Amino acid sequence: MQSYPATVRPPADAIGTLSIIVGVIALLIFIGVEGALVFAIWRYRASRHLGGEAATFERNRRLEIAWTAAPALILAVIFILTLGTMAEINGAGVPAAMRITATGHQWWWEFSYGGVKTANELHIPVGTPIDLEVSSADVIHSFWVPDLGPKKDMLPGVTNRLRLLAPRAGSYEGQCAEFCGIEHAWMRIRVVAQSQTEFDAWLRTQAEPRTTSDTKAEQILLANICVSCHTIRGTTAAGTAGPDLTHVGGRATLGAGVIPNDVASMRAWLADPQRYKPGALMPSVPLSNTDLDALANYLVSLK
Amino acid sequence: MTAIPLWVRRPAGERVGWLRTVDHKEIGVLYIGMGVAFFAFGGLEALLIRAQLATPEARLLDPETFNQAFTVHGVTMILLAIVPLLVGFANYLVPLMIGARDVAFPRLNALSFWLSLIGGVVLYFSFLAGGAPDTGWFSYAPLSERAFAPGTGVDYYILGLAVNGAGTIIGAINIAVTILLMRCPGMAISRVPLFVWMTLITSVLILGAYPALTAALVMLFVDRQLGGHFFDPAGGGQAVLWQHLFWFFGHPEVYIMVLPAMGMISEVIPVFSRKPIFGYAFVAGSSVAIAFLSFSVWAHHMFAVGLGDTENAIFSATSMLIAIPTGVKIFNWIATMVGGRLRLTTAMLFAVGFIAMFVIGGLSGVSLAVVPIDLAVTDSYYVVAHLHYVLFGGTMLGIFAGAYYWFPKMSGRLLSEVLGRWHFWTTFVGFNLTFLPQHWLGAVGMPRRVFTYAASTGWGPLNLISTIGAAILAIAMVIFFVNVLRSLRSGEVAGDDPWDAFTLEWSTTSPPPPENFATIPAVTGRRPLWDRKHPESRDGR
Repeated sequence: MQSYPATVRPPADAIGTLSIIVGVIALLIFIGVEGALVFAIWRYRASRHLGGEAATFERNRRLEIAWTAAPALILAVIFILTLGTMAEINGAGVPAAMRITATGHQWWWEFSYGGVKTANELHIPVGTPIDLEVSSADVIHSFWVPDLGPKKDMLPGVTNRLRLLAPRAGSYEGQCAEFCGIEHAWMRIRVVAQSQTEFDAWLRTQAEPRTTSDTKAEQILLANICVSCHTIRGTTAAGTAGPDLTHVGGRATLGAGVIPNDVASMRAWLADPQRYKPGALMPSVPLSNTDLDALANYLVSLK
Repeated sequence: MTAIPLWVRRPAGERVGWLRTVDHKEIGVLYIGMGVAFFAFGGLEALLIRAQLATPEARLLDPETFNQAFTVHGVTMILLAIVPLLVGFANYLVPLMIGARDVAFPRLNALSFWLSLIGGVVLYFSFLAGGAPDTGWFSYAPLSERAFAPGTGVDYYILGLAVNGAGTIIGAINIAVTILLMRCPGMAISRVPLFVWMTLITSVLILGAYPALTAALVMLFVDRQLGGHFFDPAGGGQAVLWQHLFWFFGHPEVYIMVLPAMGMISEVIPVFSRKPIFGYAFVAGSSVAIAFLSFSVWAHHMFAVGLGDTENAIFSATSMLIAIPTGVKIFNWIATMVGGRLRLTTAMLFAVGFIAMFVIGGLSGVSLAVVPIDLAVTDSYYVVAHLHYVLFGGTMLGIFAGAYYWFPKMSGRLLSEVLGRWHFWTTFVGFNLTFLPQHWLGAVGMPRRVFTYAASTGWGPLNLISTIGAAILAIAMVIFFVNVLRSLRSGEVAGDDPWDAFTLEWSTTSPPPPENFATIPAVTGRRPLWDRKHPESRDGR
């Protein structure tokens, strides 16, 4: 399973270790300083009737130099550890086995595997070092899946690289971390880490055109505004402003995480996306009930 | 008992005089009044934010309103509440503390106040003019460009901040000149009270930092209104340029907000410990170090932007360095208390509270200088928690310490110690309940600036605790306002020197007369009033 070199830890683990070290140091300093503070208050409060006058000392050069030097030393240690971990989370010189492009949009994610496009769900092989090349189509977004480690900002006109290494199979949840407008809160990410075999099978499916066809539903889609933003490979729908829907039925959620993906939710979403994601760029399309049923069933069937 | 003795020059019933006053004390009170009013607005916005986030997937506020609320909350608290409060105290106290009759340029002083206020009014006018800015207080381009923020909110943000900033810059020149040129005989720069030192350094920081903001605002205005492309990558500009300019202002701004509060508790702690400050030279000198370093740490706000490992490492190092001069002050304050006879007045409680809470904010600040940890938690609620431990746990508690300490000087009345204790403990509990859980929320993945969160995230309970804490904090603020209003009406008369204090402002009447002193004092040490009261044990003999 573990196909990465044993010396390379997943970035999240490296950050975890460093966080524990820094956290323990911080905790010790916290206890020491707050303890000294509480002790000083307790010991020297006037209500204890200590008698006599307050002391008059007002400097101690040696002590002051000491308590300037001590934090400097601690910070020097932390800085050296920082440099090591920085190199490690960037991959420590181990080349990536795979590159995936991620593009942030208001308010969804586009992932491209050498031209094969999906949205909002990032599938990756488990235990494999991957370079995610992140950018943005509009404003600044930030790719953040906490259990996979660091985040990386996605800027328009710039390509940044984020090293991913999923330590276990399963799904990882995350979301956009840079405020990107009205629906920033509903720009969630799901990363699905699967075995190489499962991943390869998934990618083969994604590369294919639509898996089912339904002439009636496709006509509704093509006769309406849907087609100007969405692509369904195998039909003439080839818009690129919105998510590629060729295999939309295979995804777990709609609207980048706002509702689950089933026929009922899909129908409700198509009827009024603004109800679930006010401000989203998808307009409400006036469709009859029968058209909504047909379209919802069709889209969910596109596995 | 006359009512509200906050001013001394006004003939009875003459209110219009406030509009044309050039007296540093009255302008100080105006600044403080402005700060209090905007603090109340900013607080209400914070309560809206917390109410919406109390439960997952709540629909109390629509996302647009929420985004306006957190944007205006941030701008308000930083630029329209904290800075005016601190500038107000500086305006009131600096001439008194250095034995001067007024600031160097009294009319300019009035101009700087009115510009600051008008900037705030312009920003708030946006609510009536089609919607407040909704792009966050640091308003990153290109989200703030016209293509993505087509309303007028961002334009009001630009205009309001530019005008407010002009006022702050003018005020900083005035205060710096006053401190450098108008000290009374014997008041060497090495003898001025530490609050004055901190104010001087703050003024220098303002002069370095605010122009960068003004420049960025002008560039954004050119982009939005004149078809420019400074921050628009599609037109050959750079989105990240805004961040460099903004944080070149934004990080010194943190110290602009923290140093004067440190100055306040550096006055309060010695007086209530009955001892001189420990390590005056270190406290003052470390602040000079902070001033220099604060202009070289801005990119620690940008570790996730992708500047490169070398750049990130450099800014990580400078950010850790600045923790050293910031940290040693904590030791100085504790050492001041050691050996003292501590009078735990409300002012002293808030000063000690500042130390206790600022330690937490400082330690989380160091963790954010550690690049890999920052990459994990930046732009999350961890940062929200950190900045509130610095700006509320630090600065605001310091301002409250200053308020209890100097209110008697400004009004002639003492604040109630009983209500003061209630105020302190409700603040302490409410504050920690609000912000302590947010560290954890951020660490497990809650980004800042989200108007809601999925129930499946499990972030509900800690958010509810945070909201309960905010409600307690609101009660604490009500107690404070009641205390102030009661004292103005019928508070115990303070006398000139209710705390048996050390510095010159306590040598004149409460409130001080026009032009402050009958005769300009001459001083021989750092604690002139102590020296006068204890000629046998004068400082610096």
